[in-house]
Amino acid sequence: MDEQIDTFGKSLTLMQDNALLIKQLQAKDERALSLLYDYYSGALYSVILKMIRDEGIAQDLLQETFITIWGKSHQYSADKGRFYTWAYRIAKNKVLNFIRKRDILIQKEDLSVYKIEDEPVKFDVEFTKLKGAINQLEEHHQKAIELVYFNGLTHREAHEEMKVPLGTYKSYIQQALKKLKANYGSAVTLLFMMLK
Amino acid sequence: MTKENILKEGLLEQYVLGELNESQKQIIEQLRTSDTQIAAQLNAIELNFEKIGFDNAITPPFSVKTNILEKVSESNKNKTNNYRMWLSIAASFAAFFLLGSIWLYSELNTVKEELKIVGDKNDTLLKDLEGLTENYNETSAWYAALSNPDTEQYILKGNALSPEAKIVSFVNHENKSVIINTEKLPQLDKDHDYQMWADVDGEMINMGVIAKEKKLMAMNYIDNAKSLNITIEPVGGNDHPTVERLISNVYLD
Repeated sequence: MDEQIDTFGKSLTLMQDNALLIKQLQAKDERALSLLYDYYSGALYSVILKMIRDEGIAQDLLQETFITIWGKSHQYSADKGRFYTWAYRIAKNKVLNFIRKRDILIQKEDLSVYKIEDEPVKFDVEFTKLKGAINQLEEHHQKAIELVYFNGLTHREAHEEMKVPLGTYKSYIQQALKKLKANYGSAVTLLFMMLK
Repeated sequence: MTKENILKEGLLEQYVLGELNESQKQIIEQLRTSDTQIAAQLNAIELNFEKIGFDNAITPPFSVKTNILEKVSESNKNKTNNYRMWLSIAASFAAFFLLGSIWLYSELNTVKEELKIVGDKNDTLLKDLEGLTENYNETSAWYAALSNPDTEQYILKGNALSPEAKIVSFVNHENKSVIINTEKLPQLDKDHDYQMWADVDGEMINMGVIAKEKKLMAMNYIDNAKSLNITIEPVGGNDHPTVERLISNVYLD
């Protein structure tokens, strides 16, 4: 618990700094981009990697994600949500677009572009293992979150994947988030109070 | 889409995950600013997702960061280069216009000077024309007077005092005019003038001083003149003729 509060304490200071860093990023400050990369790249890389399951492609897509963050930083507004959420959506769209294009190429049987035989797909199964508070959830809740959050599925696709009705699936997500909130506990509440 | 619906349907989670279409997205974004409960819910969901994300972070290889920063600084440099390029283009245009303006200004001055010269020439020509017109009018008048059939011609020849002198006078008794041609009158010094007199019953009456520079000139016509006489008088003329200096006379018939 102590460690968790520490983490949040650190996050909080970083978060306040981030508002300034984001302003600097929007003013095309390369140093700000470098610091924001240090802060967010791990989380975003994890999302991309779990979705695409290929380290080489994941790194390319992470790079493209940050180039887009740099290029479209003026479109981000704190009123519309957190910077991480904005960056997460960019990363997810990069992966989904990539997969869409690859599927079209596969349909045309032109695999050469993405599957170069000399370079086999490099991917460590360790990467799929979930860490942190999400592990304290029941397995179906965990799975529900994993499918939409890390696998980039829509709710509709995810409920088919889990073979449960859409309504049930939605309640899985909500219950899971409620439990997570309980698990993250007072630190999150404290964070809210300080944000307000 | 009621608030209850939004909460029950899990639209907020879908919103955070970027699954909603544009119109649904706008509704949620609007509610976020107007409804504190929705805003708090969204914040909680975002924080949860962010926390999950950070819990599961995997550090990417350092080369990715290097690549990104290289690309970004390259694009930044290109922008500066572009900026420099536009600046230099703008500078060349400015220089071009400046030189152009200087050239045009000097051209303008030249043209102004030329215009002034042309104006001056025009003035001179106008004056010449005026002179010519005057001359012409005068000559026409002389010609009209001289060619008049009523005009009589008398020649005054110089006596011993001025043997080479010769004056041709044209007298018109009808319109009472006297014109003389002084071309063959010897030059006098600047202190003396020739003066013309008419003899009326033994009395000499002034007809006028003969101008030095004129070849043809009109004199006063005197009624009942018996003769015309020319004397040398002090400059500007005299009230009475100096008879000792009479150089020529002619009787009118």
